[in-house]
Amino acid sequence: MTASLRRAGRRVQPDPAAALHVPLFQDIVAGLDANQRHVVLDLGAASTAMLALLGRSRCRAEIADLAYFGGIDRLNSAESGPALSRAAESLLPNRLSDDAIDLVFCWDLPNYLTLDSLSALMDAVGRRARAGALAHALIFYAERDMNERPGRFIPTADGELIDHSAPGEAVEAPRYSAEDLGKSMGGFVIDRARLLSNGMQEFLFRLGS
Amino acid sequence: MFERSKKDTDTIESQDPNRTEASKTFGSLRSKVTGGGDSAVIGRSIQINGDLRGNEDLRIEGDVTGTVELRNSALTIGKEGKVKADVYAKSIAVDGETRGDLYATDRITVHVNARVQGNIIAPKVSIEEGAHFKGSIEMDPAAVERVLGKTAASGADKPVTETKSSNIADTKAAPKKPAKETGANLNPPAGNA
Repeated sequence: MTASLRRAGRRVQPDPAAALHVPLFQDIVAGLDANQRHVVLDLGAASTAMLALLGRSRCRAEIADLAYFGGIDRLNSAESGPALSRAAESLLPNRLSDDAIDLVFCWDLPNYLTLDSLSALMDAVGRRARAGALAHALIFYAERDMNERPGRFIPTADGELIDHSAPGEAVEAPRYSAEDLGKSMGGFVIDRARLLSNGMQEFLFRLGS
Repeated sequence: MFERSKKDTDTIESQDPNRTEASKTFGSLRSKVTGGGDSAVIGRSIQINGDLRGNEDLRIEGDVTGTVELRNSALTIGKEGKVKADVYAKSIAVDGETRGDLYATDRITVHVNARVQGNIIAPKVSIEEGAHFKGSIEMDPAAVERVLGKTAASGADKPVTETKSSNIADTKAAPKKPAKETGANLNPPAGNA
């Protein structure tokens, strides 16, 4: 199955004033222990607000910014197998140390990847993560369309999210099912899920041992 | 070419006798007064392959590949600057492109539209909205000290990230508080990374 990029014939205009209540994201943020070191992988773009949020604890933030650095196209165009695995590995930041990742923010990027690509990416992430690590993702569920480009989600001080992405053409959302995701997140398995007010589904995955 | 905005009598080279051929060559260049600030400038038409070392502030608008060491000085990588090097300085501000790790004993600022690929290690880090960054940012003071050594340890408090964005209030490190019991448990069963 592939992430469809079929044009939907209209434009998506994110509302920067609309804060999205994301309970699982808020739980994660609340769980960042100020006294404990955490290694966080952010597959989205660097945001000062996100860094400030992480800066409340002793974090190392690893930022991949897959969308800007061409990661989506590279993954979706790579041949399955070793080439795809290498592509996925190369998209993750070079590491300063071997500290295992505790937490991954995927935002809405999985919607823009084929299930093969998503699987390869999360396999690569899983190899760097500790058992029990969490991954958070936002999946289009009720809405048939999505912006042609991934969102740029920035947290508010209250732990809600605002999409600051530019308006773009609407494309058909793949609307991956929980079953699809369960098989395509590497070793990460669904821990919890919530339906959000904007029709997206918020997922929390946990890496098995 | 190297340009200087203050005195025409200095060269950009350091007094390090172990400097490389590249630094010797370019270090011998005299520079001209530009009347701008107080730092030396590597102009946009200059390409340097090798090690750059010195003890004065520097602005790079050209291409530099190798290593840049200005341990007690400020480095600015201007909008036209392209640096493919590990960089060590007291402070680093990026407007252009870098590929390599950035180490600063004071602070690192990544301005809007800058493009940075590499790790950032400094007690204070600021990334403006709209900057593009791929790499890691160390926010654990102990880890920063470990990497930067005693220099950072002497003057660094808790690392902070700061913002120039008006919609973000205070991004300095918050006082330590226990995690909420209702929060997702991020802690591993035994030990932690």
